[in-house]
Amino acid sequence: MRPSRRTLRGLVIPIVLFIAWEAGSRAGILPMDTMSRPSDIASAAHTGFADGSILLATWETCEAAFTGFAIAAVIGLLAGIVLGLTPRLERIVGPTVDALRPIPAVALIPLALMLFGFGLRMEASVIAFACVWPILIVTIAAVRGIEPRLLEVARALEMSFFARVLKIIVPAALGRIVVGLRLALGIALIVAVTVEIVLNPRGLGHGMMGAQQSLRPELMYAQLLWLALIGWLLNRLTLFLAAHWAGGAIDVDRAGPAL
Amino acid sequence: MTRRLATIAGALAFVALLLGAWQLGALYGAISPIFFPSPVRTLEELAKQVADGRLWQPLGATTMRMLWGWFAASIAGVVIGAAIGLSRTAREYLEPMLEFLRPLPASAVIPVAVSFLGLSTQMSTAVIAFGSIWPVLLAAVHGFATVDPQLAEVSSSLCLTRWQRLWKIALPSAMPDILAGVRVGLGIALILAVVTEMQASLPGLGQNILLAQRSFKSPELYAGVVVLGMLGFIANQLILGIERRLLRWRALPE
Amino acid sequence: MIQAPVIEVRTVGMSFGNGTGARAVLTDISFDVVEGAFLCIVGPSGCGKTTLLRLLAGLLRTTTGVIRCHGEPVTVPSRDRAIIFQDYSKALLPWRTVANNVALALEACGVEEPERGAQVSALLRTMGLTRAADQYPSQLSGGMQQRVQIARCLAQRPRILLMDEPFGALDAITRQGLQDEVTRLALELGTTVVFITHDLEEAIYLGDHVIVLAANPGRIVERIEVGIARPRSQLATREDPRFLAHRHRLFDMLQDH
Repeated sequence: MRPSRRTLRGLVIPIVLFIAWEAGSRAGILPMDTMSRPSDIASAAHTGFADGSILLATWETCEAAFTGFAIAAVIGLLAGIVLGLTPRLERIVGPTVDALRPIPAVALIPLALMLFGFGLRMEASVIAFACVWPILIVTIAAVRGIEPRLLEVARALEMSFFARVLKIIVPAALGRIVVGLRLALGIALIVAVTVEIVLNPRGLGHGMMGAQQSLRPELMYAQLLWLALIGWLLNRLTLFLAAHWAGGAIDVDRAGPAL
Repeated sequence: MTRRLATIAGALAFVALLLGAWQLGALYGAISPIFFPSPVRTLEELAKQVADGRLWQPLGATTMRMLWGWFAASIAGVVIGAAIGLSRTAREYLEPMLEFLRPLPASAVIPVAVSFLGLSTQMSTAVIAFGSIWPVLLAAVHGFATVDPQLAEVSSSLCLTRWQRLWKIALPSAMPDILAGVRVGLGIALILAVVTEMQASLPGLGQNILLAQRSFKSPELYAGVVVLGMLGFIANQLILGIERRLLRWRALPE
Repeated sequence: MIQAPVIEVRTVGMSFGNGTGARAVLTDISFDVVEGAFLCIVGPSGCGKTTLLRLLAGLLRTTTGVIRCHGEPVTVPSRDRAIIFQDYSKALLPWRTVANNVALALEACGVEEPERGAQVSALLRTMGLTRAADQYPSQLSGGMQQRVQIARCLAQRPRILLMDEPFGALDAITRQGLQDEVTRLALELGTTVVFITHDLEEAIYLGDHVIVLAANPGRIVERIEVGIARPRSQLATREDPRFLAHRHRLFDMLQDH
């Protein structure tokens, strides 16, 4: 496949920036101790991948992100389906949800630390808290938006509750639910890195902080660029899956990287 | 009317049930009061902080931190977004790079900011501004790029000047996108304010709750979380209010 | 008495795309419009009539040939030529009230307050919109929205009014009311009108002259002089033997092409 004109044009500015960066640092205009230079970053990345340290950190970050996301998905989907099907219950629980939702997930970092100590569990719990709201809200809205006649059909066929959920509700609401899940997965990665940067001694966030503190800017930038690449790949992958599974690719990117 | 009252009563009863269970659990030692201080203890702590004025300084510090970074980001985001959105060439060259950078967690630039600016207030403001600019910027690019072609023709046929087109047509038509972006940006600004306070030991609610945890003063920790939740809620409601005012024309009775 | 034409269209051709992919939309279009005349252009969908109107407005440039208004070649839009778009719901600014939508045209001309407000209320009165002044376009019916667009165009005091199927999406009664109102206003103000429609009867009822376009590529296949005196009336004019004769001829014409 030939790269499109769009791709080529998009590459112009990054390439120019990298060349200017390298040249500026070799000419002594840019400070090495904070800016490093692309060639050093490349060799730091090479070493990091060769000795497995970056891959290990990547695994730790992803493990926490996926664990937290999975917990949030189970809770958010189940609660969302139940609340979506019973508006009366939703009206009763709704205000509590509205009160908990604005709490910034990072405010729970100290709490999670107190409960679980350092490690995977505290990180995943903060991630789960951050991810559960978009999934819950979108699922409620998706279930609420199902064509009422479909539900009448289910009732006419005398389906059991679980059959109704599996055969009617989930397929009918899937398109919008996938949007919520996609949003949540993006949030999971962001929160994972944030928790690691603030205090959890594991993963890429901690790796970057450590590189900064030990005055190895090239390693810090190598991990930063790698992280950007992971974020981008995850985004593309979920966009592809969403378009594939849910038919219409509903673009929620405009919502931005909410935490 | 009675149904409405019943719903409100139900909602209150649900909250009361949760808090009551928690209170009783703490009272009878079913859950550890070290980790889960009773709601009453938390509220007492909060009331005490309000009474002796200990709450205001960190609350003000965090709020100002959030607002400054967010404000700078919003202005810059709209201006840069307009420039990119209105020029097809700029979009072709810059959009792929923006798309690559967008999923980058905003907090990931903290180490970079620290190495440039140290553990300082400027570092915090820079990180907040960097993090909260994305939703505004992308929304503005989208909003300015998708001005209805019919409106473009209207402005041509009225011979509007460039400035009039920008000010009277493009900006108002991008406004719904921009306001949505600004609102998301404010949420991010609060999060990054808390994160940078924790990271750089800057005065504010973020540092307070971390210190409370380190000295196992869990009522203080919970009180801080409650205040942060309220701050987030109020900030969001304020922007929603502005949105409702400015976008009155969007939700009108037929 | 022979009047100098206000609009001269000379062997105009228009194609989109270039090279082998070029598609001719209009070929060899020539006609004149004299001061104060009401010209209707009628044709099936895809005959390029909307493109022709955009050329007259200066929103598009001709590929070949030339269009002159008051002797000057048309290349860019001018406030002298107001255009009323078919899709009124998109041609109004949804975030401005009716009064402020009309004011937009005056802002473009540099009319300042309080003069602007006075002119706006006069125009709203003319178009029967006074009571809707503070409402937003989305709150109005289609007919009312089209009135707002007409008011905005009148605000720029054009000598030429270009109308692109302005009443196509309206119900019959609203359409007839607006038809009579527009002809009356154009007559009063001495405005030259070029009116695009796909409705034969509308074209004959409104126009002094009717030009018929055929599609693929868009070209003129017939031009008639209606020759029915004004003011016309929805009932009597439409039963006039000349009206019926024109209608028959043009109907057959459009069938053949």
